Amino acid sequence: MNKFIIQVNGTVYGSTASFRALRFTESVLSLGHQVSSIFFYQDGVTNSSALICPASDEHDLHRAWERLAKEHNLKLVNCVSAALRRGVLSEQDAQENNKTSANASNHFVMGGLGELVTGIEESDRLICF
Amino acid sequence: MKKICVIFRHSPTGNTSSREGLDFAMLSASFEQEVSVVFTDEAVLHLLAGQQPELVGSKDYLSTFKALSLYDIETVLVCHDSAKRFGIASSEFNFEAELASATQIQQLIQDANEVVVY
Amino acid sequence: MILHQVQTSATVDNALNCCLRYIDDSDSILLTDDALNCLLDKQWQQRLSNYKLYVLIEDIEARGLSHRLPQSTNISIIDYDQFVLATLQHTKVITW
Repeated sequence: MNKFIIQVNGTVYGSTASFRALRFTESVLSLGHQVSSIFFYQDGVTNSSALICPASDEHDLHRAWERLAKEHNLKLVNCVSAALRRGVLSEQDAQENNKTSANASNHFVMGGLGELVTGIEESDRLICF
Repeated sequence: MKKICVIFRHSPTGNTSSREGLDFAMLSASFEQEVSVVFTDEAVLHLLAGQQPELVGSKDYLSTFKALSLYDIETVLVCHDSAKRFGIASSEFNFEAELASATQIQQLIQDANEVVVY
Repeated sequence: MILHQVQTSATVDNALNCCLRYIDDSDSILLTDDALNCLLDKQWQQRLSNYKLYVLIEDIEARGLSHRLPQSTNISIIDYDQFVLATLQHTKVITW
């Protein structure tokens, strides 16, 4: 059994990188390997917006991450500074920045780049998308 | 401790890739990882002095590159072919960095535990 | 033995060129998303002929390219489980 850390840099809509990250993670888990965390950086943080509303006949990547995380008890971590710059805020971020609403899903936690680095240190493979 | 090589391949202005890559490089170094940095393709433009990214609404993060050595990032390589292509001589470098051949960079990449590209 | 992942089209981004500048003969390249389109181009086919290449079956079928890719022994068509295995068979993965 090997331990993977997945880094998602691609945007939730407009690129297929996040979709590949999801499919790859599903395979890692189905093959019995471990995922230390999924770290969303750069435009990848848009995956965590609970306000993503794709049409009913389109793939809902945000929902798919939530479902996968729930099913496998996965850690979905947003880089907080990358998220703030792109308008993805947790309740706490919204309060601290005097914004009227938050949009980050509760299934994603806000973290720092330090979590990515420690994740890389304790994993066998880093795979970026 | 892991050997992490951070490769920059995008221009400094016009995207935020390098800025976020630099954050990652410095954080990795402050978390006691052995970090090396490579500039290739248009990213060699980071080495130029006299840039004013705030004129086009970008943050001036370029001066932060001067602090790489403070973070114990000793290996900072610039692709020789890319520098030549964009007409940049090592005497013009705005911060401490070394020209390197493709073979030298290839060796650094092979030796690293993880390589990330920004 | 590195697995290089290139995700962007060679006509849009220099990622593949950049990867080829530093690749070792024993490394492999995984062409995902529009990066695989270059395999339709004879010049690129030739340039990549010395490397072991991987392409995801979903990427090929999504583009209707099943019968258009060259029948070369250096190209392996894989699914996601094989993608995971390939990441473990190589020492590391670099996404350009």
